[in-house]
Parts: sequence; structure tokens; C-alpha cells
Amino acid sequence: MNDEPKMSPRTGQGMDYGEQSDVQQVHAAVRREKREPRVGAEPLSIWLIAIYGLAIFFGGAYLGRFSGNFTSGGLDPMGSPPAPKKAVAGGPAGGEQVELSPHDRGKKVFAANCQTCHQANGLGVAGQYPPLAGSEFTTGGSRRPAMIVLKGLQGPVTVKGQQFGTAVMQPWDKTLTDQKIADVLTYERSEWGNNASPVTPEQIAALRKELASRTESFTEHDILAVPDEDLPGGSAPAGGAPPKPGEAAKPAAPPKP
Amino acid sequence: MNTTGIPLKEPAVSVAAGDTEQLERAYIDASTRIPVLLFYTSAVAWLILGTVLAMLVSFGLHWPDLFGGMGLLTWGRLRPVHMNMMVYGWGSMAGMGTAVWLMARLCRTTLRFPLLLAAGGAFWNLGVLIGVCAILLGDSTGFQWLEFPRYVAVILFVAYTLMASWAVLMFRHRRGDQIYITQWFLLGAFLWFPWLYAAGQLMLFVVPLQGVLQAAITWWYANNLLFLWFGAIALGTAYYMIPKVIGRPVYSYHLATIGFWTYALFSSWTGMTRLVDGPFPAWMITASIAATILTMIPVATIGLNHHLTMQGYFPLLRYSPTLRFTVFGAMSYTVFSLIGLLISLRSVARYVDFTQVSIAYSHLGLYAFFTMTIFGSMYYIVPRLVGREWRSASLIKLHFWASAYGIGLMTLMLLAGGFLQGADMQNPALPFSESIQTVLPYLRGRSISGILLTVAHFIFAYHFGLMLLGLGRTSTVPTFLNPVEAETSGGH
Repeated sequence: MNDEPKMSPRTGQGMDYGEQSDVQQVHAAVRREKREPRVGAEPLSIWLIAIYGLAIFFGGAYLGRFSGNFTSGGLDPMGSPPAPKKAVAGGPAGGEQVELSPHDRGKKVFAANCQTCHQANGLGVAGQYPPLAGSEFTTGGSRRPAMIVLKGLQGPVTVKGQQFGTAVMQPWDKTLTDQKIADVLTYERSEWGNNASPVTPEQIAALRKELASRTESFTEHDILAVPDEDLPGGSAPAGGAPPKPGEAAKPAAPPKP
Repeated sequence: MNTTGIPLKEPAVSVAAGDTEQLERAYIDASTRIPVLLFYTSAVAWLILGTVLAMLVSFGLHWPDLFGGMGLLTWGRLRPVHMNMMVYGWGSMAGMGTAVWLMARLCRTTLRFPLLLAAGGAFWNLGVLIGVCAILLGDSTGFQWLEFPRYVAVILFVAYTLMASWAVLMFRHRRGDQIYITQWFLLGAFLWFPWLYAAGQLMLFVVPLQGVLQAAITWWYANNLLFLWFGAIALGTAYYMIPKVIGRPVYSYHLATIGFWTYALFSSWTGMTRLVDGPFPAWMITASIAATILTMIPVATIGLNHHLTMQGYFPLLRYSPTLRFTVFGAMSYTVFSLIGLLISLRSVARYVDFTQVSIAYSHLGLYAFFTMTIFGSMYYIVPRLVGREWRSASLIKLHFWASAYGIGLMTLMLLAGGFLQGADMQNPALPFSESIQTVLPYLRGRSISGILLTVAHFIFAYHFGLMLLGLGRTSTVPTFLNPVEAETSGGH
């Protein structure tokens, strides 16, 4: 038995539950106890508030940085994987090209640039803006509509037997890239019941080079002078070969004479 | 042994007001004697069993054919048995004993019908015993810390309700208009545990969630049990023992309030940090990591509050066993939280996931923080229940140093070994077995720390047994760790 009390045990005055006669006599431990704890009311230190601020700042920053955009399926803390890829692949033409078909992209270009005059239904405005739906220019070979879009059209024109003359079509070669022109032509030639071949950016690029020296818009006479044929290099099915936007967009700048 | 400056001479008898207060305390202590001693006794028994199993588990890692042929003693069964013994046998029972005693003292109300509370405790122990046998026989659920089969969970839940409702009833019948900080933590713990346990059971077994969410629930449960059950009891105990022993008010009420609410709010979010890079939505894990960063608020607040309470009284650590264990536990809370923050950050967690580091982390929480604090409270409470002083200062000192060095060595070994293991596992050129070779010496080192802890626990159990048998010293003075010089004692 390892009995080595460091204090003199004072067994003579000992107090012991086992031999108690009076509860008050007995509880030596209770008796010598200090009073129950109280609470002081010192104020918060400014340093502690600084620590709170730091913790909240870093906690919030961490949450914002690594939360994977708070998507339920986002396992990657840095954000959902497709987002950065899109930005790289889309190039100057914008983010959505990777996913959308040429037809859908063309619809967007049409809505942004052409719809004001030619209308969303492609019927134009009687007496002012010619229709595209069922138009012999739109649905014929792709060379004629491509020329019109690139360089514009002025003067009277007869479409589906109706005479139009007041409005002028502006040239788009300085505004739209080959990709966008190809897309919008593909859209116009396959929408509203039209059923003509799609147009590729490469075709537009070639035509743009061919027409580079021309400064003024075409007239109906100019258009009817060229044969009603598809542009060379076409006949790729719609949405077939994935477009290479980087290449296509490069030669877009038209050299002015 | 609680007070230090005090009584080398006979306590001055009877100032009238003081007498009533002392008498009241004496009655309260007497009313809690049977249940609290029952909790403590069963806790110490589980502690010894769990420690022996821990040794087997630890040795089994670097001595695999130790129990080669015996299905009953395979590593995969021993480890969950060890953990469940420590969590539900030792930790919950000892914590419950301390919490009930503190609640009675602070509510200034005697414990009515203590035998019913004791019956709850007995029922709980029965549940743990059945559960342990079930795991050994192979009837384990396989979810960490929830391995007990469902029928055991029912027993535990009923027993818990019986015990906790008593503590809550005491709170209902409290006297005095003050509610002390310790009572916040204890009442919180008593209400949080059934919520955690019921939610865990419900979502894993009754209406099981599918797929990886089960892992999320398991970690949520284990982590919250550590913080909201064990951690809350330990912090509440430290908030009582430190000012009580040194006889000085807690530094600041404001710090205590902020500390309590931020602790409850943030630490309950931190469970997902062990799932970094697992198949979970990134925000789920990141929210946990952000909450871990925010737990620096309660860590700084509570740590500072304890530190400033102790300021100027640190020399008392030389004398009071209670204070020494409790302050060790309170400081370990800070260390535990800082390491928890470090290993939860994504860049670090990636390395230490599935390594020994998480074992080091849970031992820091459950042992260095919780168990040491509870040891301190037991050194304070047991003499008041049995009417004897601790028999030997040397035994207490041995217990303290063996425990402190044991857990320190274990933490170092497992942290160092775990980081090296993680670095090896990250290296695709190395075969997996290389990482095992790397960690092997550290596992041997851990077994040595386990021997230290085993020695500590056997010493404590022996000492505690002597106290139970009434073989403690009969004396009016507590058992100090070192002799108090007469002239310095007045200043404390």
C-alpha cells in the first residue's frame, strides 16, 4: 500500500463520512471549499474582435473560393468543369458555339441583325422589305444570298413576283465574321419551310476574298448576272464537320482597295 | 486537494451564513453519491477494458498474427469494440457522472430519487455490454461509433432518457437566480446528445439514406458527438473547476457568452472536413472547412477566458491535481482545435486523408481534451462522495505524467507518421506497401505511448478502487501534489 501522505494527515482531528455523527462536523472537503464560481464582467478586448474579423473574413473567402458554385453536382471545388473549357474553345465568336448547331447559332445572329426588317417569320414587310421564306434568292444556290449579305443590296428588286424598291440592305462584311454569316445563311436557307444546302465559313471566306475589291452594294442586275449556283467547297451536310472557329475567323478582315 | 492556499490549519468553524451554504452542499453531495459513484465505477471499468483492447489494437497493427486464428479477436472487431467502450462506456458514463454532480451543485438542489438515476445508469451499462458482445460476435452495423446493433440503440436511448431527464428536472427546480456558464454547456449537452443519437440512428438504420450520404451522416454524427456531447461537458467542467479551485471569478461573462454560442453554432458544422475530395458536392465540404475556420472564434474566446482567469494563479498547478488535469484539458482544447483547422484545409487534408492523422486528431479530442478534464473533475468530486482524501500524491502524479506523456507521444507519433504516410500515398511512383513501411516505426512508437497510458489508467483505477473501498486518507486537508510551504500558502 503506497501510503505516503505529503501533508501531516492529522488523523487525530480527522473527519470521515464513515464515522460521522453530525453532518456539519463531517464534510471537511465541503467546508474548506471555496464558494461556487462567479462570473466577472470584463469587456471584450479589441484584439479578440480583430481575431473574430479575421476568422469571418477567411472563412467567407474560403467558402467563396472553393464552393464549386454551390451546385449540387459540382464535385470540383474550383467550379464546374465545362465553364473554363467553353471560354477557351469559343474564341472571339462567343461562348455558345461549342454546344449549338449552326442552325441555332444562325437563329441568334438572325434575331440580332436581320429580324428588324425581314421579321421573325421571314416574310419581310410588304412593299418595303423582301421576304426570305420561299424567296428564290434565299433558296437557290448559296452564292447569290451570300453576295447580298456580304455586300448589301440597293435599288429595286423583285422577289416572289413582288416589287420592292424603297429600302436598302446594308453590307455586313465589316460587321459579321465568316462564321456568323455562314450560320445565318444556313439558318435562313433551312427555316420557314426553306430547304437549301448549308453554308460553311470557309465558303464565305473564299467569297469574301473574291469580292474584296468591291466597295459599293450590289444591284438586282449584278446579282442576276452571276449564275444561280452553290459556292464552291460546300455540300457538307448541315452541322456535319465541326467548324473551326479559330481558323475561320482569322481572315475575316476585308482588305480595302 | 481542491484548494491550495487553504487549510493547513483547521477550517474556521461557523460563520452563520457560510454554515448553511456548507450544509446545503453536504446534503447535495450526499444525494448524488450513489448514482455518481455508480457512473464513475462503471466508467473506470470500461476505461480499463477499453485500454487493454486499445493495446491489442495498436500491437495488432505491427504484429498482425498476434491473434491469427481467433475470429473473435480479429482487428476489425477489436477496434470498434475499443472505440465503443471508450465512447459509450468510459466517456459517456464519466461525463454523465460529472455532469450530474455539477448540475446538482449549481442548481442548488438535492437529487431526488437518486436510485432511479442509478437504474438508468445500470441500464445504460447493460446496453453497452450487450453491444460490445454483439460486435465481438460479428453483429456490427459497420458505421463508425454507431456499430452497436439496433436493439442496443433502443436500450441506450431509453437509459439515456431516464438519466438526462433527471438532470433537466434538476435544472427545472433550480434555486437562485443565476445560471452559471457550466449549466449552459451541460444543459446543451444533455439536449444535444439525444438529438444526435436519434438523428444518426434514424438516417442510417430506420429510414436509411442511400449511397455516399451515409458516410456524410456517419462523420456528422461522430464529429458532433465529439464536440457537442464530450466537448460541451468538458468545457462546462473546466468553467466550473478552474474558478472553483483558485477561488476567483471567471474573467468575463461576455467572453463566456460569445464562446458558448459560437461553439454551439460553428463546431456542429465541421463534420464533413474528413471527406475532402470525396464524392460530395464541393460546397458541402467547403462549408464545413469554413465553419472550422470560424471555430477559431470560440477557441480564442474560451481559451482567453480560461487563461485570464488563471492568470497569476499558475503556480497552483504545482499543488492541485484537479487544477493540473483540468488546465491540461483546457489547453488541449486549443491545440486540438488548431490541429483540426490545419488538417481540414483542402491542401493539407488531401495529404492526410486515410492516414494515421485522423486517429491522432480524435485522440486529441477525446483524450487530451475530454478525458483529462474529466480526470480532473473526478479528483475533485470523488473525495466529496466517499468522505476520504486521495491516498497518495505520488499515485496522482504518476497518473498525470503517464497520461500527459502518453497522449503527447501518441499525438506526435501519429501526426508525424500520418504526414509521411500521406506523402508516400500521394507519390504514384511508390507502391502502396512502401507507405506502410514508412509508417510502421511510428506505429511501434504509438504502442509505447499506449503502454504509458495503460500504466496511467491502471494506477488511476487502483487509486479509485481504494477510495471506493473506504481506504482513502481520513484528513481535513486535501491531497496536494507537492507539499505546501506554510508561508507561501497564505498568498494563494
